[in-house]
Amino acid sequence: MSIGCRGLRVAAGGRELLAVDFLEIADGETVAVLGPNGAGKSTLLRALARLEPAATGGEVLLDGEPAPPAQLRAAVAAVLQRPVLQRGSVLDNAAAGLRLRGVRRARARRLARQWLDALGVAHLADRHARTLSGGEAQRVAIARALAVGSRVLLLDEPFTGLDATTRADLIADLRVALDRSTAAVLLVTHDRDEAAALAHRTALLLTGRVRQLGTTADVLDSPADLECARLLGYTTRLPPELTGHDVLLVARPERCRLLSPGEAPAHPAVLVPGTLRRIVPLGGTTRVDVDTAGGPVAVLTTTEVTGAPGDPLCVAVDARNTRECPPRG
Amino acid sequence: MLRDGLLEAVRLLLTGDQDTWSITALTLRVSLTATAVALLLGVPLGTALALGRFPGRRVLHAAANTGMGLPPVVVGLFVTVLLWRSGPLGAFGLLYTPTAMVVAQAVIATPIVAALTAAALQQVDPDFLLQMRALGATRTRALWALLAEARLPLIAAGLAGFGAVVSEVGAAQMVGGNIQGETRVLTTAAVLATGRGQFALAIAFGLVLLTIAFAVNLFVTLAQQRERASTSARSSSA
Repeated sequence: MSIGCRGLRVAAGGRELLAVDFLEIADGETVAVLGPNGAGKSTLLRALARLEPAATGGEVLLDGEPAPPAQLRAAVAAVLQRPVLQRGSVLDNAAAGLRLRGVRRARARRLARQWLDALGVAHLADRHARTLSGGEAQRVAIARALAVGSRVLLLDEPFTGLDATTRADLIADLRVALDRSTAAVLLVTHDRDEAAALAHRTALLLTGRVRQLGTTADVLDSPADLECARLLGYTTRLPPELTGHDVLLVARPERCRLLSPGEAPAHPAVLVPGTLRRIVPLGGTTRVDVDTAGGPVAVLTTTEVTGAPGDPLCVAVDARNTRECPPRG
Repeated sequence: MLRDGLLEAVRLLLTGDQDTWSITALTLRVSLTATAVALLLGVPLGTALALGRFPGRRVLHAAANTGMGLPPVVVGLFVTVLLWRSGPLGAFGLLYTPTAMVVAQAVIATPIVAALTAAALQQVDPDFLLQMRALGATRTRALWALLAEARLPLIAAGLAGFGAVVSEVGAAQMVGGNIQGETRVLTTAAVLATGRGQFALAIAFGLVLLTIAFAVNLFVTLAQQRERASTSARSSSA
């Protein structure tokens, strides 16, 4: 079953928080909604599930048809950002979604156990939910939603607050679990790695509007405009006056290299002359801020950098690593 | 005198003194009924105070909190005036009946149950209802899940209400009149016996009251500790 929306609007306090003209997620497809904090990602998720009465207009669609609330409630299960578990055992928690839908206890527990296993927490089944770590609790919360077997699964930043290792493990387990499921999945996230790992398509949401929508690989690789570029990590701006191109070019700081004056690049590259402002060691990488005629440019490099503020140098970006960024509209 | 009183009290209780037991039975009947009424009114009211969004909610919440310390004598006075033969509800002829005592005690217990219910529900995760609905629960079902989640403090709220009414004397005296065999309860009986110098009898009533209070608290404590024990047993077994 696909879920989608048409003309969905949410406003609060006289301000429009969300305006999504059309979005559809097909059966078995995962769509990531990628956006910065405050872009309206959670608002979109909650409006799709009709969890908040704040939606001021538009329709939520199931299989392309406007969905009445009862049908929507039956079709959708959502995982919130923070795992909210009930008093009781992990297994009872995992079974709670099914129990809320009227499934008998024994059957609910049997189904739930399979999903605890899929999420790697079956060994915790008899533990009290209050004793879990953040990562374990989130796994249980996801298992609880998957166990429902709903045809639509909404995930609201499920990896927030987890340490890097826990997060990487959970992403891998979730990916396998989603591959097993035929649900239409909406993943809300501010992390493009999560979108890359889990989503077939990605929508970029900025100030409540879908700015870009396409296959995840395409969207992550070709930002539509400057704001999308910033969101996708293309934060190094190379203005036309520096590069000689007609439009603004953008690049990822980790794709920029530093050349000494006079040094020739190995590949066809965009070259921007400037002076060293500062060198900031960041553990494995070093951030080098360079002042150019078009403003500051940041470079992230793993090679050793020496020099004093004011030293002339040149920022080189391989032509294949730059993206054209036309002005919006 | 105290020792003699205690011995006589134990004798009265053990020999199954008819008066003492009928007074105890009436006390339990009146106070348990009043507590049941207070739960029926107080739990929905407390839920509305904790979750509702309506004008005057905070004022009502403050009123319920204040109501926790409502002096029984004041309640007794107002209920008496209401039920007085020439009063607004005088036609029902309820004054000096157990029903009048139930009404007065329910008035005392309802704000206690409401305020403690509100406090209990506000301790649950603020996203609890949202998460239950996000799993497909109807609003009603989500609300039941919330009440189940807060069951221990809700039981405590009911027992606090019961504790307040079973031990009050002012309202029971005023609206019940302490009529022997009809509206005499443990507290009013203890007051009367003390006034007459029948200390053994008064102590016997006091002991029964204490026993009821102890049983109630034992029940809550055991329930809470059983829940805690299961939590720690489960966490240590993993």
